[in-house]
Amino acid sequence: MKKKQAVAEDTEKMFASDASHEEEEGEAPVKAKRSRSEEAGGEEQVYRPVKLSRSDLYRPPTVEELNQLKEAESLFHCSLLKMQMEELLKEVALSDNRKRQIDSFIQTLTKLLQTVPDSPEVEVSDLSWLAVKVPFLLVPKTTKGKFHMAPPTSVDLIGSYPLGTCTKPRVVVDLAVTIPANVLHPKDVLNQRYPRKRALYLAGLAQYLASSSDIGTMRYSCLNGNRLRPTLLLTPPDISSFSVRIHACPSPGFFKPSRFHPQRNNVRTEWYTGLQTPQSESSEPPTPHYNSSVLGDLLPRAHQQFLSAVSTQCSAFADGVALLKVWLRQRGLDQGTGCFNGFLASMLFAYLLTTHKVSNTMTAYQLLRNSLNFLASTDITVNGISLSKDPDSTAPSLADFHNAFQVVFVDPSGHLNMCADMTACTYKQLQHEASVSMQFWDNPTVDGFHSLLMTSKPMIRTSDHVFQLCELVKLQSSCKKLNLLSELMDHSGNYVQTALPFLLSLLQQGLGQRILLLTHSLSPDPEWSVDSEAPKHKAQPPLSFGLLLRPELAISVLERGPPADSPKAAEFRRLWGSRSELRRFQDGAITEAVVWEGESICQKRLVPKQIITHLLQLHADIPPSSLRYVGAMVDDVIRTGSEVSSTGEEESLQVVQSYDDLSRKLWRLEGLPLSITAVQGAHPVLRYTQVFPPVPLKLDYSFFEREKTSRSLIPKEDKPCPAYITPITVICHMEGSGKWPHDRLAIRHIRTAFHICLGELLKKHHNYTCRPCPTHLDVWKDGLLFRIQVAYHREPQVLRESVNAEGLLVVRDNEEAQALEMATIHKPLLTSTLHGLQQEHPCFGAVCRLAKRWLGAQLFSDDITEDTADLLVASLFLQPAPFTPPGSPQVGFLRFLHLLSSFDWRNNPLVVNLNNQLTAADYIEIKNDFMASRESLPVMFIATPKDKKVSMWTKRAPSVQLLHRVVMVAAESLKVLEHQLMDASQIQDVRVVMRPPLDVYDVLIHLNPKQVPLLSQAVDLPALNFSRGAMTDGVSQSGGALPVVDYNPVSLYLMELRDAFGDFALFFCDPYGGTVIAVLWKPKAFISMPFKTSQVSARSVEVTGEEANTVPNVEAILEDFRIMGQGLVKSVEARTERWSF
Amino acid sequence: MAPARKKHGSSKPYIIPGGFTELSLQFSSDSAARHKLYVKEHRVRAEKSSRRPLDRTLFVLNIPPYCSKAVVRELFSQFGGVQSVELREHPGSFQDSEPKLSKFFKPAEKQGFKVGYIVFQNSSSVTAAKSHSHNSPLVVSTEQRPVKTGVQKWIQQYKESFIQPNKLQQIVDSFMAGYDKRKEEEAERQRKEGEQQQEDEEGWVKVTRGHKGTKARPHSEAANRRTLQKEMKKKKRKELMNFYTWQHRNTQKLHIAELRKKFEEDKQRIALLRAQRKFRPY
Repeated sequence: MKKKQAVAEDTEKMFASDASHEEEEGEAPVKAKRSRSEEAGGEEQVYRPVKLSRSDLYRPPTVEELNQLKEAESLFHCSLLKMQMEELLKEVALSDNRKRQIDSFIQTLTKLLQTVPDSPEVEVSDLSWLAVKVPFLLVPKTTKGKFHMAPPTSVDLIGSYPLGTCTKPRVVVDLAVTIPANVLHPKDVLNQRYPRKRALYLAGLAQYLASSSDIGTMRYSCLNGNRLRPTLLLTPPDISSFSVRIHACPSPGFFKPSRFHPQRNNVRTEWYTGLQTPQSESSEPPTPHYNSSVLGDLLPRAHQQFLSAVSTQCSAFADGVALLKVWLRQRGLDQGTGCFNGFLASMLFAYLLTTHKVSNTMTAYQLLRNSLNFLASTDITVNGISLSKDPDSTAPSLADFHNAFQVVFVDPSGHLNMCADMTACTYKQLQHEASVSMQFWDNPTVDGFHSLLMTSKPMIRTSDHVFQLCELVKLQSSCKKLNLLSELMDHSGNYVQTALPFLLSLLQQGLGQRILLLTHSLSPDPEWSVDSEAPKHKAQPPLSFGLLLRPELAISVLERGPPADSPKAAEFRRLWGSRSELRRFQDGAITEAVVWEGESICQKRLVPKQIITHLLQLHADIPPSSLRYVGAMVDDVIRTGSEVSSTGEEESLQVVQSYDDLSRKLWRLEGLPLSITAVQGAHPVLRYTQVFPPVPLKLDYSFFEREKTSRSLIPKEDKPCPAYITPITVICHMEGSGKWPHDRLAIRHIRTAFHICLGELLKKHHNYTCRPCPTHLDVWKDGLLFRIQVAYHREPQVLRESVNAEGLLVVRDNEEAQALEMATIHKPLLTSTLHGLQQEHPCFGAVCRLAKRWLGAQLFSDDITEDTADLLVASLFLQPAPFTPPGSPQVGFLRFLHLLSSFDWRNNPLVVNLNNQLTAADYIEIKNDFMASRESLPVMFIATPKDKKVSMWTKRAPSVQLLHRVVMVAAESLKVLEHQLMDASQIQDVRVVMRPPLDVYDVLIHLNPKQVPLLSQAVDLPALNFSRGAMTDGVSQSGGALPVVDYNPVSLYLMELRDAFGDFALFFCDPYGGTVIAVLWKPKAFISMPFKTSQVSARSVEVTGEEANTVPNVEAILEDFRIMGQGLVKSVEARTERWSF
Repeated sequence: MAPARKKHGSSKPYIIPGGFTELSLQFSSDSAARHKLYVKEHRVRAEKSSRRPLDRTLFVLNIPPYCSKAVVRELFSQFGGVQSVELREHPGSFQDSEPKLSKFFKPAEKQGFKVGYIVFQNSSSVTAAKSHSHNSPLVVSTEQRPVKTGVQKWIQQYKESFIQPNKLQQIVDSFMAGYDKRKEEEAERQRKEGEQQQEDEEGWVKVTRGHKGTKARPHSEAANRRTLQKEMKKKKRKELMNFYTWQHRNTQKLHIAELRKKFEEDKQRIALLRAQRKFRPY
């Protein structure tokens, strides 16, 4: 909340400094021009077209220059990317200064470690000699063996730092400390004796180091979340920018590698369970995970040697690994249990190099590309890969590995599977990411660099639906239910990791074709202080799962199984339990089937939730209460309040059907002087993006006054404002003909005649109530109101033409013509194009509606208009890189907020490639035009195939200041929302992001809810509702009296306010049931000005000597707010304490 | 505002530099805040229109949006009989624009503050208005003649926006009849002008400098441009490209210059991005 306030203050400053030149950020394009002179001395941040002198441009070229230029020309796309990558590498590489610090710290640490004193020998279970805690969960408690401390035989640097692949942020330097041989016993591999001794050794080191002043903080952690392999994290006393991680390991070759074959058992059931159930060693279950974690300790030095040998051969190795690490980190794959970390990335490069899939001379750019290509095309969950050239006879085969592990990548020794902890799902996710990256890498219309390496992909913004397991303790019982004792033993009691692969495969089976990808969060490495006990397995953030839906299949309510008599039926029944039932289908087949609930689209969207809840409860004993499904939490705000909850898809469809019917009837009309050439919808509801689509209404006639002559209803003064009836605009193009006059006024009159004529025909043939006006024809049909506008295609041209004094016919563009073209040509076109997009992506409309609801609630809908918002959302679907097109409204909305807040509006045009009409050349052209005339273009520049140069939708608004504020509020909303969605402990109220901070505004005009017709659409449902003369039940009929149409006192009031006081203030209001109008003074208007006859509106004169200056007459203006809104305004709250004039 | 009021005597007019008299105006007798109207006799160097007689016209600034013509007439009738009231968005000379349109065909007017030109029946009324005391405000809405604002006004507006289709049709018809007539007259005039260009019986052609009907020059801007382009094209076709050695060299030189420019641009773009820290991934 504090943060929010800070933001508000910031904006306030921003809003206030309208006239001041203090803004140092160069993002204000309009301002940039003005402040150029001041800025010229300081640093320049603004892009300007290059100006080279003549002599520079035309001097004779040298040979090198010529070559360089030619190369850049032929590799343009690629070379820019290359340059960008080089810059990125500079950003993540460690500085020399940092390296010096690390080296000196390592030196002191090594010295310290070598002076660890010996201690007397004690039993392993005796912990009395330790002042710190042991970083190990001692379950079961009993352990045999003796232990004593002794100085390590050697201390070596391993991992990324010596290889040169260490990158910022989170610099970790790995240090391997060899446990002396006499502390261990060769038999210690059994029953966790070795891991426990190792933990004791670490604790011993920690105890000794704690007394030293050279060490800053000390914490325990464990390697990749593996509790058997604790590590000690150290930071130097005054620097916190890096940490050193101490691994304790046995001397190489201390244990025989053959003991760790994935088929062998090293943890005895008898010891683990504590029950006397004598079993022969051969019948003991294998413990592959335990084996590989012990084996992993034996090999780090060998791996280090191997990798450094490989990296010396390939000059770009380090850079390549660094790039891949950045790529992995942006996708959240580089940390936690079962991750694909930097070590694996290095090993992958080594594999590609040794198998000659890439050559030693390749650049980092090529290495990255090839590795992604390899990942995308190779499935190592089925065909594992191995680095070992000639494995010895005791080494297990790939098939052995595949039996024990889901993902197989064998190390150079041939004994260790380096991906032992990775789940198949994680690898599939990696593969998916790689293939998506490869797809957009070559697409010249995408900013490859940005999507590839710069955009972070948190799960909530990537996956269509997300759900969380909140109480991880429940997984203990699922282990029991799934009968996983031996696996639990293998994972040494880590029930989360034990149950996870089984849950994943269960879900995968249940969701089947509905999903493209199932991902899960990787539990982060725990970190805890040396003075506290190791945290329990459940003490970690909830496990999150992400679903990438297949939109066409995900919402089907029917799960059709095999025929009743087929052998597969039993399996189907086992999977679905009691939900499975026999059903007879229309094609005559009798099959097993499961039917889920869901009537409206918004309920059907949650079918995956039903499936998951059902399966987890049935098979894994996880109660629905500990499941948190984050799929449609945000959808609430656009929910309409009918008996079947719906998010507006059905209502939109109903309107569209009614429109289609009307359109057909218009086509069929006979007796018109000219024929109709086109009927086009030009209203958001006709492309499914109206926030609250109009609902057919039936009128309560007693509520209104009647106008007898025109048979229409009139609102009564003493009653609440009648329900708002949205006019749905329909453009009706008339055939061109010589009969049309060539004069603007005459055309206007002829159009009116057409409106009258159409109205009469519709009344006569279909009995619709019609009301012709000069500008349009209102048609009351099925409880909906259509507003037909007749258009003549040459009218804009006529408006542009004028005859000048010399009798020359001049064509000049003017606003009137543009407005007409916008209404009759561009809007219908946009509507039909976006209607097409909706057919392709079923949740497009819902995302638009959420986005527009948010814009409205945050009072921005006047500046970011409906069409602009729809285009912004369309860009998310047309150019989703690095994501896939949104598959649920929620994820689309989050990405919309992200787009708003992160797009660099200053330096880039947003290209919305509708219908895929733009080619790469067009993109370059758009970009160049944009660069050349940036200063004169709209702040928010959106280019479409029909509009490459002017950005007509954003020409009027937003202004720089407003865009700035939108960006800030969007960023803040995104943060709050993502936090809330991912964290169950936060207050669960998504409406928080829909409540605007009102403390920035100077005056608040509170409205009387009685006169706000759209009150029921407000973000927070109003306490009391008024009857507004409309009944939603019952069939509405055509004919009858014309209802009160398009009568909204709030918008009428706003219009009057803006007309009268537009020079003094900005007025903001939520069009969807907002009951407050926020007013922001324009600082410029409050500067005292000399008296001028053209500038005295609402001002009063102050005389000082001979001069007369004017200042706004604030008192009277506030009074006017009240007068002009009589009956509507409840109170005017002036926040004088904020005013600064 | 407040101190200014105190400085001056209670019943004297308050005249500011520039010659305007300040009148105060309040919406109703119980409203606290007042708008200030600034009035002066209408005086311009050359008034062409007879609609604003110089001696009888009062020029009023800062008329609030809720004062319609009728209200203004009512307000100022206390100074004498009002002949006409004209309200405009900005001060300026009188324009008689376009044929008379019915109110349904006029574009919506902006409902802002206005300036007014009030023509009194007697010139003495102007002086009366100018010397009106600053302390007794004009009151817009009184019990006798209430002025509707807010919800009442909007309902009224809504009611008035209705028009019977047949009446609308009548308006359209009468306008179109007028239009057709004007069109015909125009055609007639053109025909006559055309006739003048024809040879008369004795073989003489009357040549006029008249701007209409001249056929020698293309008649519209677009046509002008087209002819120019045609000319250019013709010229270009005759030109030889990359024919002489110097031409070839020149093209190459231009190409290299182009590449250089592009390279510099790229360099600058990267430098700019670096300056904005656009390469920091997290």
